[in-house]
Order: sequence, then structure tokens, then C-alpha cells
Amino acid sequence: MPDTDVTLEAVGDEALARRIAGGLPGSTDAEEAELYRRFAPRVRLYGRRHLQNDAAADDLAQDVLLVTIERLHAGEVRRPEEIGSFILGTSRMMAHGERRLARRREALAARFIDTGAETAAWSTASLDAPRVAACLRALAERDRLVVLLTFYAEREAPRIAEDLGVSPGAVRAIRHRAMTRLRDCVLGGARP
Amino acid sequence: MNAPGCERIALADLTDYTAGELPEAEAAEIEEHLFSCAECAARAAEFDALVRAIRPAIRSAGVGGVVTDAVLNRLAREGVRVRTFALSPGAVVPCAVWDDDELVALRLRADFGGAREFTMSQRVAGAEVVHVTGQVAASSQGELIYVLPASWIRELPVVEVEVVLTAHEGGEERPAGSYTLVHGGSLHR
Repeated sequence: MPDTDVTLEAVGDEALARRIAGGLPGSTDAEEAELYRRFAPRVRLYGRRHLQNDAAADDLAQDVLLVTIERLHAGEVRRPEEIGSFILGTSRMMAHGERRLARRREALAARFIDTGAETAAWSTASLDAPRVAACLRALAERDRLVVLLTFYAEREAPRIAEDLGVSPGAVRAIRHRAMTRLRDCVLGGARP
Repeated sequence: MNAPGCERIALADLTDYTAGELPEAEAAEIEEHLFSCAECAARAAEFDALVRAIRPAIRSAGVGGVVTDAVLNRLAREGVRVRTFALSPGAVVPCAVWDDDELVALRLRADFGGAREFTMSQRVAGAEVVHVTGQVAASSQGELIYVLPASWIRELPVVEVEVVLTAHEGGEERPAGSYTLVHGGSLHR
């Protein structure tokens, strides 16, 4: 209900955690959804950096929040005032476990499975692709190339620097400038 | 901690973090802050959505521009159909795209010499339709790779497309190569 939503949005993280911890399972659905809404994007971002896989990051966000909610109900979160730290710690622990599992999977796949036809995991982007494409087109050639090499070809700055004949610092500077312009164009509504 | 207006995490740091290029200690600091600050977490989520939207945008074949083999290899791995034309200066080649081609890659051999900048002009039936200026990549080895949406080529009538590369060196301009693509229409499988 809208009134409940407004009230919950205004509730601090600590109070939200205490409400979940103090309620019976099944009676705090709205609070749990609010906790998920607040923290899932952060866990997803963390997961993408540490697992380098969109689908694994999505799974991590679900798993971490599920464990957090279970621990809250079980009274196992001793400091609800530090719920953010608890979720980050759980993210670190579960991502570490996932990395170990992924390494084992890769080793097994290398021995038993032909992965030649495997394609990259794909997740749905929430932004309008034609708009993003138009804004990418509007970037200067070198700026666009650095963005593509970083976020599409997944090359690191020193390697890009070598290819383009500039310093890694210059690559980072170009990338910052390009991403600022891209963000302003896509999210700020500037004309491409 | 919810700090209205908090901008402790600069966009530059967020860019390097998302690119996976921050030292571990600095990345951990950012993570600690993101999990305690709703304001910065919202900005980070917004930026993350932007980064995630880059891949589908490129994959949609609507971007184009100067690329390197690293980008072409990634497109190929993702199953994007790229029609490639490798052209030496002075080449006149028939050019047609299949109806399921998504991108056209022009590999233009050119004499850049010591030039650091170039201009590329594309003319269709004498009228300039593309004019771009860029930097010659150190790894170019006398080749410029330019991609454009195949849909753009498909829409052309039977016509000649002229591509002219100009090198900029020491404040002067000189021809680096010119190429002619004779567009003969779209092919169907």
C-alpha cells in the first residue's frame, strides 16, 4: 500500500533491520522487500566487480539478501545498527565461495565439457539501448574507443595505453571524461 | 549512514572501480562507504546501469566508429555478424551485404607515416555523409578499422561509396588512402 511504502522508505536501515528481526517470518514481507530494494543493487555492483559475471552477480544479490533476512529472523545479526556492514561481509564471504566454486567448475569443464560454443552471460539492462547508442555515437572517436575497450572488450588501462600509444594515466583521464559525458547525455537528457 | 548530498565517491573513482582497476584497499574503502550511504549507493547503481547498457547498445549494431581487433573479437565471440572488407589504397571493390549482416567493418590499409591524427570522409554519390577525425592508434600497423551498421549500407541504392583518409602530420595534411566501394544492393540467403 502506498502509505506503508512511504513510511518504510523513510525508515532508517537500522530500524528496518530491527523490524525484520522482531517480526515473525511471513509478517515482514514489506520490510524485507524494502531491504532488498535498498541493498540488492549494491551487492550486484560488488558481485560484478569481484565475480566478473552479470548472472553470478544477480545470483549473489539474491543469495546474500536471503541469508541476511534469515539471519535477522534467527536473531543472528548482533548489531542491526551495522546492517550495511553485515551485508557487505556476507557478500564478501559468499563471493569468495562462489569464486572457489567457479574455479572448480572451470577446471571440470576444461576436462569434460566442450565450452567452445558457450556465449557470455547476458543480463537485461534497464536503460534504453538506442538512447545509449546515440550518446556513444556522439562521443569523440578516441573517447568512444576507450569506453568500448574498457567496458565491452574488457581491456585494462595499461593494455589500452599500449594499443593507443598513450600513458595509462591518459587512458583513465579519457575514460573519466567520456563516462561523464555519456552519463550526462543518457541520464541528463542532453541532446546526443 | 545516510548523508543527503554526500559525494564522497567521485565519478572518476566509480569509473575505475567499475572497470576493476582500483587497488584492493581503495576498492574496499568504496565498498564500505557504499554499504553505509544510501545517497552514494543510488549514484553507484545509476552508474552501474549505464555501464551495463553499453554492451547491449554496442551489440545492437547501432554505434559504429573506429575500433580495434579487440572490439571485433568480442563482437565475434558474441555472435554479431560482421561483414569485413579489407582495402588497400586505390582499391575499387564490389560491396554488398547479406540480409543478416549486422555490422560492416572496413579495414583500411593506409600510409599514416608518422601522423598522429587522421580524418576520414565518406561520400555517397559525391555528397559527404560521414566526416570523422581521430587519433592514429600506436598498434594500427598502417590500418584503420572503421565499423558501421550494415542496415545503413542496405538502405543505399546501387551507388559508389568513396572513402578518403587524410593524415595530419606536423600541421600539414596529406592523402593517406582513398577507396571505392561499389554498392550493388543487398543479398538474400
